[in-house]
Amino acid sequence: MTMVPGNWYAVAAEHDVPAGHIYRTALGGNDQAIRELAIWRASDGAVQVWEDRCPHRGVRFSLGEVVGDELRCQYHAWRFAKGGACTFIPAQPDMKVPGSIHAKAWPVAVSAGLIWTGVDPVGEPPVLGEGAAIRAVPVARPLAEVETALAQADLPGLALTLQPLGDTETIVRGLVANGDCAAADRALAALRRQLECVA
Amino acid sequence: MILYDAHHVAPAYAVRLLAGFLGLPLELQGMDVYPGHDDRSDEFLALNPLGTLPVLVDGDTVFTDWQEILAHLALAHGPDWYPATDPALVGWLGIARDLAASAGAARLMQTFCVPGDLAEAKAQAERLLDEVERRMWFAERAGHGWLLAGTHPTIADIAAFVSIAPCEDGGLSLRDRPALRRWCDRVRFHPGFVPMSGVFPPMANT
Repeated sequence: MTMVPGNWYAVAAEHDVPAGHIYRTALGGNDQAIRELAIWRASDGAVQVWEDRCPHRGVRFSLGEVVGDELRCQYHAWRFAKGGACTFIPAQPDMKVPGSIHAKAWPVAVSAGLIWTGVDPVGEPPVLGEGAAIRAVPVARPLAEVETALAQADLPGLALTLQPLGDTETIVRGLVANGDCAAADRALAALRRQLECVA
Repeated sequence: MILYDAHHVAPAYAVRLLAGFLGLPLELQGMDVYPGHDDRSDEFLALNPLGTLPVLVDGDTVFTDWQEILAHLALAHGPDWYPATDPALVGWLGIARDLAASAGAARLMQTFCVPGDLAEAKAQAERLLDEVERRMWFAERAGHGWLLAGTHPTIADIAAFVSIAPCEDGGLSLRDRPALRRWCDRVRFHPGFVPMSGVFPPMANT
């Protein structure tokens, strides 16, 4: 089992999503199909985690653009407000957009500098403590293997959490207590080399 | 200035992009590289025996190397784009050339039937993209937005951008390379940006 419904998963750091940017990632694996995600901020700073797919023609939202308080699809410039409701269709400027046209919005929690989501997540995201969000490190190995390696590794001061991307890739995210992101990055790069070499 | 150009050739796009940022008019001489192979004609090989694009003719001078063209235009028209006192410029232009030979080559193999070792090109590109991502992430944390330290983009950004921005054409991905995607946004939103196929301009802010 890689992605478990009910769990929260960190899928970005807060600093990954500056105003006006659409961050792109994915979550899933095993019996859960991999879901492409587009993450952006409304002008009030509220983080939006959406399926990376316009409900109109299926083009990735992450190719689009944040305009004011809305995300605009690159293909036909349909606009979607926070929460996911379509607000404007340029080809039908006088039409009231039917309420059924909606981007698929995922649950969102922001804690410890990380952005969390999941399928029907329960309660609050895990508490990682204090520290600076490290650079996320992708590892081309299944989540269970990365989990085992992390449990055996000596990584003092790091509080880590894993984001599964399908059955063969996992992203290591987390916090470093003393703020030394460069040292944390070197340690995780070494772990990545070790894990990917035995493959 | 005459630019011997092909729309999809990344190094030629680099020159059009810098000209856009600098507001320089270029007379484009379009070449049918595929399937026409204009770049193998006697006439073109007389101009550039290596047969590579782009070629810039500026007055009496013929430039046949894309990075040399970027340097020439920047030195003549926008010295902020060519920080000659920073040795990192040489390193980054080298990485940009390596990216063209890997990510750029993979794109040409996938989209224009150029022969080559696709697996090796992609493997080398993955290593380079990982490293540029790592450096850009730490540069952002240090308050920088461009490949070289400083507040102004340089020809190194342009030289790397033309291989990185369209890299998905070559079967590579910018997903989960967030610092590179943010940097691509900064290039796209820089005044004077010109697009090419697959590299979108910012939409009009309406």
